[in-house]
Amino acid sequence: MITAVLIALVVLGGSAGDVFITKGMKQLGEVSTLNAGRLLAIFGRAITNRYFLIGVLFMAVSYFSFLGALRLADLSLVLPATSISFVITTIGARLFLNETISPMRWAGILLVGIGVALISIPSQP
Amino acid sequence: MKTAVVLITAIVAQAFGDVCLTKGMKAISSLETSAGGFSESLSQVSHIAMQTMQSPMVWVGTLLLIVFFVLYSAALSWADLSFVLPATAFGYVLNVAAGHYFLGELVSNRRWGGAVIITLGVLFVSRSGQRTGETPPGELHAPGVLE
Repeated sequence: MITAVLIALVVLGGSAGDVFITKGMKQLGEVSTLNAGRLLAIFGRAITNRYFLIGVLFMAVSYFSFLGALRLADLSLVLPATSISFVITTIGARLFLNETISPMRWAGILLVGIGVALISIPSQP
Repeated sequence: MKTAVVLITAIVAQAFGDVCLTKGMKAISSLETSAGGFSESLSQVSHIAMQTMQSPMVWVGTLLLIVFFVLYSAALSWADLSFVLPATAFGYVLNVAAGHYFLGELVSNRRWGGAVIITLGVLFVSRSGQRTGETPPGELHAPGVLE
């Protein structure tokens, strides 16, 4: 039960983190310079952007939940289970970032999720 | 084009970062997986943390993963999350290949199969346009990353 909660935290934390980081970066505007000084200025604005920081915080929650889940369950369960986050993050992007997910994109995302699940199940010794 | 360059650089940095981290961490005494008491596991973790901080490979790996995160965030400043996230999943394919060629890992047919399915998925996503949310006028459906 605790394992399930932790895996949910890994997935939801990671997805929320990605959504907030995207919101923060979109707020900063398109990065379109290679000038070192300007890049540094953008970096400074990013790490002081509220959405960006909340995103990083969610990422940290996800990461530590992942470590916690690994203490209770095998990597062979935890890692494939987290591949559902491709779908969850996409739903988040649609709901909170107003992104349009075409059938083509959905198909690609589902394939990626299935492929990641297949890859992350460890081989039997 | 910009998206392609940024994301491919990000993915390569991530793959090599993971290889460096794995090489570095494998050189460190193995982590016990049996569930011990809290204070026992805490001292174990702090011991491993000390060793980790002294590994150059771990530092290089961490630096490469920071490069990945910076480029990933930059791409998110103009492209969809639902485009960038699955596109970077191509890193898993590179990880499988890098594990095979640089770390001598045995890769099962299932994992190669997963790599092929991911590649197919990334191709689909790259054909779906890279920006749909908060779109500036006239820039709907910009060309995808792999086109």
